[in-house]
Amino acid sequence: MTSYFAGIDVGSTMTKAVILNKGIIASIIGPTGPEQRRLANKVMEEVLNRAALSLKAITYIVSTGYGRINVPFADKQFTEITCHAKGIIRLFPKAKTIIDVGGQDIKAIKIDATGKTIDFVMNDKCAAGSGRFIEVIAGTLGVPLDKVGDLSLQSRNPAKISNICTIWAQQEVAASLAQGIPISDLLAGVHHSLADRICRMVNRLKVEEAVIVTGGGAKNRGLLKALSEQLGHEILVPEEPLITGALGAALLGKEIVEKAKQNSTPLKTKERILEEIKIL
Amino acid sequence: MAEEQKEAKPKKRMTATQAAASIGPMVKEFITGTLKARAEGKQKLAYTFIVCHHEEIFRAMDVVPIWTENFAGICGAKRDAERFLQRAESLGLSRSLCTYALCGIGFDQWREELGQMPPDAPWGGQAKPDLMISSGQILCDPRSKWYQASQQFMPDVPIYNIDLPYPMFQRDQDHRDVWGYYHKYIVKQLRGLVAFLEEQTGKKMDYDRLRELVDLSDRTWNLIDETYKLRRAVPSPMGTGDAMNTMVPINFMMATQKAYDFFVDLKKELEEKIAKGEGEVQEEKYRLMWGGGLPAWFALTDFNYFNSKGASFPVETTYRMVAPLNEMDIPETKDPIEHLAWRWLGYWTFWFDKAKKRPGSEPDVERLINWIEEYKIDGIVMHEAFSCRTWHVGLIWQLHQLAKIYKPIPMLVIGKDGKKEKVYREIPSLILESDIIDITSYSEVDTRNKIDAFIATLESNRANKAA
Repeated sequence: MTSYFAGIDVGSTMTKAVILNKGIIASIIGPTGPEQRRLANKVMEEVLNRAALSLKAITYIVSTGYGRINVPFADKQFTEITCHAKGIIRLFPKAKTIIDVGGQDIKAIKIDATGKTIDFVMNDKCAAGSGRFIEVIAGTLGVPLDKVGDLSLQSRNPAKISNICTIWAQQEVAASLAQGIPISDLLAGVHHSLADRICRMVNRLKVEEAVIVTGGGAKNRGLLKALSEQLGHEILVPEEPLITGALGAALLGKEIVEKAKQNSTPLKTKERILEEIKIL
Repeated sequence: MAEEQKEAKPKKRMTATQAAASIGPMVKEFITGTLKARAEGKQKLAYTFIVCHHEEIFRAMDVVPIWTENFAGICGAKRDAERFLQRAESLGLSRSLCTYALCGIGFDQWREELGQMPPDAPWGGQAKPDLMISSGQILCDPRSKWYQASQQFMPDVPIYNIDLPYPMFQRDQDHRDVWGYYHKYIVKQLRGLVAFLEEQTGKKMDYDRLRELVDLSDRTWNLIDETYKLRRAVPSPMGTGDAMNTMVPINFMMATQKAYDFFVDLKKELEEKIAKGEGEVQEEKYRLMWGGGLPAWFALTDFNYFNSKGASFPVETTYRMVAPLNEMDIPETKDPIEHLAWRWLGYWTFWFDKAKKRPGSEPDVERLINWIEEYKIDGIVMHEAFSCRTWHVGLIWQLHQLAKIYKPIPMLVIGKDGKKEKVYREIPSLILESDIIDITSYSEVDTRNKIDAFIATLESNRANKAA
């Protein structure tokens, strides 16, 4: 009988789910939103549909991310740091440093060859340096979010954005726009400012290659270029940088099942019912 | 004026020792004691700061100290600081200043404006002082400026500032070559304080009594050192959460018999716990050091959260403001003022000689290294409080320096080829970020998320540690 493992990553901005057997057989990314956090069951239902599986077919479910406690059908929870590390080492066996540029925070994680966390730092006090920073600036400039990275690469003279506070930077960009500075130069300046902010935090760890960037920020080529220049390291990006936490969660579930089999210990799982969380 | 709303009552932290549990009423008692003294008007009351080695002088002259940092901490622990912080902000003071000072200044302004305590003031409030004794202590500028700001609302209350420097660590210089000059200066400062208090109280200093009180403090110092060293036991009978309570007699009650007796009782309690094998955490998996930073007073239950994961805190650098006197290389003197000055210098230079013996070390880093070994520490936790520049600025540097000079931990991990290989890892560390009393800087979810990830790192080290 084939075993399936599910990982669900309820992040501050996006919810991601992965179903795995030997490899990924289905994945989904959707906005977390105020209601979605309560409705992890809907996300799970959708990913199961994509995989053409029922919930009962899933041997083990692991949840992660900020909303991991809001997944009532998860058999176990792990932090997103543990899950990112596990997911990334599967995709990049030589990875040593992970930088996750998420919707509302950034994390840097040092990992060993087996995907275990050695050290980490997180910025969770301020939107500066996170995906939210780019969203705000893109809105101010009227540029669709998915065009921000490529547009910034057209810049020949990146603007100097001195503010790292999201709100102040927004005002600075608006004022620079009024002075006629090209949007591509402003976006390049924003990426340099953002990369600077990220590097200040990441450099608390000893950055070693291979350096992998995940999260929504990894989809922005302009940011990746600025980050690579400022870190002084080549940067690698997974094919789908948003699902590495969910992938790691599913892999951790798989390890738990294998260990239980090896030790002939019973596997504790939740009842396979999809329902929204009752207590928030 | 900003809205002055009280915040929800915090959850109470569980203590491991009875002694720590007894601290709350003790603090309440000395806060209400200051209010009683104010009402009776027989003794002079003085605003002042901890760690100035001047308590003996106060008590010998029957001056009642009002520990303003303590009161701000109480407001924070009761989650009732915000309304005082907002008041200080509305006076034009930035939130990025020391929030202890902001809380105290906001409180003072409100009390003086009303001519009585602000409504529902924590534990009856902070009494108006007759005098204020400030001390910059080299780095902490709010300790000089706070009372100057408060004096705007109490122009009749005089300030006396004592300056208490100590030699900076210099690898190529013996601090004993210069500390004589420092000693002379500090003695002059303390004698100036005595003269000021004599003038204010109209009494002469009783030097025999002062000598007795200094002797009592010295004995208390040694007793605290002996008591805290008992926490080296495995499992450790008492953690940093409790030490954030037992810091009260160390920092606010020194030179009193009550402080001495408290540590006699605590020592006995710890010895009994060790004999029974009782720990702060029954199944102690990880031993952590609180390696620096004042705590988030409103979030002390985070220590219980660590405990729930099997993590104990046998030692902390914060508030352990004593060192064993018999290990201090300070000259003997019968003059109690001169002794206070030597003790001050002995405390602040305590780790200098050891640090010089280790290439790349510094006194703060040396203390971390020594305690990692003495207390069998698996990981270090620090707290960066955004509003305190003095104590928090160098914390990350200390960790970097530690990583550079301290031996890494050998681990056996399974390599890519499936075989075990030996690797070396640095001691794991976690930096929590918030503030001493500004609760708006804190997120329980984020903090506990970080703690969970840190515990996962410790577990990985524990599972893979090579013999």
